[in-house]
Amino acid sequence: MTEVFWFSEQPYGHVTDDDLAGYESGRMHFPNTYFDPEKAHVLYSNYHDQYALADEVGFDGIMSNEHHSSYWCMKPSVNVDAAVIAKVTKNVKIAMLGNVIALNDPVKMAEEIAMLDCISGGRIISGFVRGTAVETLHAGISPTENRDRFEEAHDLIVKCWTDPGPFRWEGRYFPHRMVNPWVVPIQKPHPEIWFPGTGSPESVIWAAKRMYPYMNLGSLLDLTKQLKDIYFETAREEGYEPGPEHFGYLIRCLVADTDERAQEVGRTFLWTETHRQRGPIEFNDPPGYQSREALRIKQSRPTIGTGTIGRRMGYEELQDAHNIIVGSPETVIQKLRYIKQTLDPGYLLIYGNEGDMPHEDVMRSVELMGTKVIPAVKED
Amino acid sequence: MTTTASSNRTTIEVAGTQVEMFSGGSGPPLLFLHGAGGNAGWQAYHEELAKTYTVYVPSQAGFNGTERPEWLYTITDLCHFNHAMVEALGLKDYVLMGSSMGGWVAAEMAAMCRANLKALILVGAAGIKPDKSEIAEIFMVSAQTRTAQRFHDISQVPNREDYEGEPTAEEQLVAHSNQEMASRLCWRPYLHNPSLPYYLGRVDTPTLVVWGRQDAIIPLECGELFEAAMPNAQLRVIENCGHSPGLEKPAEFLSAVNAFLAGL
Repeated sequence: MTEVFWFSEQPYGHVTDDDLAGYESGRMHFPNTYFDPEKAHVLYSNYHDQYALADEVGFDGIMSNEHHSSYWCMKPSVNVDAAVIAKVTKNVKIAMLGNVIALNDPVKMAEEIAMLDCISGGRIISGFVRGTAVETLHAGISPTENRDRFEEAHDLIVKCWTDPGPFRWEGRYFPHRMVNPWVVPIQKPHPEIWFPGTGSPESVIWAAKRMYPYMNLGSLLDLTKQLKDIYFETAREEGYEPGPEHFGYLIRCLVADTDERAQEVGRTFLWTETHRQRGPIEFNDPPGYQSREALRIKQSRPTIGTGTIGRRMGYEELQDAHNIIVGSPETVIQKLRYIKQTLDPGYLLIYGNEGDMPHEDVMRSVELMGTKVIPAVKED
Repeated sequence: MTTTASSNRTTIEVAGTQVEMFSGGSGPPLLFLHGAGGNAGWQAYHEELAKTYTVYVPSQAGFNGTERPEWLYTITDLCHFNHAMVEALGLKDYVLMGSSMGGWVAAEMAAMCRANLKALILVGAAGIKPDKSEIAEIFMVSAQTRTAQRFHDISQVPNREDYEGEPTAEEQLVAHSNQEMASRLCWRPYLHNPSLPYYLGRVDTPTLVVWGRQDAIIPLECGELFEAAMPNAQLRVIENCGHSPGLEKPAEFLSAVNAFLAGL
């Protein structure tokens, strides 16, 4: 049984390639003077309408995320967005993918996520992410610390949720002598923890060792299959039998009444794509962000490439590769069935809008997915 | 990496860690500490200094692909490690010279312990936050930008091809480890210690502060602040010169250093 989640980056869709062209990078150097809060107000309202509709028409969940210094994601706080989802929806699971826990006080993270779990009545899935390197740079933290801070924050958050307070935590990065968060999660022992990745085998292995479902964020199918195999191998080494419930896949997808309309609107999935992560390697993979061990794993598996979101393939080529799926309900059902047969994901995360796609088209897409596509995909 | 027949490349053990070491010459000891870019090896100015000194040029812990001791996270940790290295080498009445981040480390080492320390030479040293200017960003920029920042006029650099050519795969790995280590040590506070000027008030070791006037990474103002903070320091400014005087203006650099050493 595949569960289907709605996802939107909540892009600031007014930015164009021409705006971005003159700057050294698409994130840190692209000035926020291009941001108009009044326009953002309208966009946020639209995105929240899309959430409410996704809940009404039968999506199993809504996924959200967080980025910093990014025109293509207006969510500097996934917890704030999750609070909105909790109030504009009634039934969907809320998958936060997730909190950049290396960069925040883990006790406050544990409290906020517990609060969200209580507000939503136990609908929270708590993803933890390392973030793109820019998240760490933007936070003013050395990229060399991200991995160790992530590990410590993870352990402290889980302890906050599972061990009665007060207790002492004398970690290297987040020392607290009195920890006693009043608010704890509804779900016991704690909300499910997910972990995402694009191309890094190290991420897959980390998740598999902890039995945390791994969400692949839209890599090409053959690479994704290899990563899934690594998860399954690792799981068996750890002594448990993995299944679809341990694996999810994010895919860009838009449904319209006709193939023609979907093709036209879906082209926007490639909006400003060459600029999104543009910048020197010092921005995207600064030395020390990956462990020397991760570099070694990468070298020992030469077939493993990088993530594909942002990779320069054409619109048609990406559709042929099933990396972007657009069309009428019939077309999309057929292509999603192919994804299901190929990857057997327990979770299908629908990356459902982009750039300045018209709000009406996105709302129609949500409706057609809920009424036609999701029931058909689940039938199989 | 430049090496000559008159230098030895060896490995010494310091506090349980293997340290890569270039050394050469004869005479009293001079320990050179490299900057955030790592150990570029035995340079022409080391060769000149080796005519009158026994010169030691180590790859500091974690740099140049060497292992980082598990406990070493900060500049203070590195200073303690380097003091262990001074003891392991058995240096008596040594001259401590540091460039850029290495200058910061040398200043902190002197503040920490001056036993056996005869003189200090700080070259374009990090460590003090300027008031009127800024230390340039060296991590969140491309490799090309870093090279452009480093030299005032690269055509003055005798071995400019070492800095302009495409790095080999091995050189890229070494550069990666150097940046990783420098990021760990220098990220926050950025390339300085707010308390260092106060430590330095007690450091009466004879000190030469050498700066390129056009230093685009650590501004000359920092050199003036070192001179003001230390009771026995003199600043020598080299004209038409960037962040690496030993590489960009070797004759002027050596003349300033030799004059200082001769007066000790």
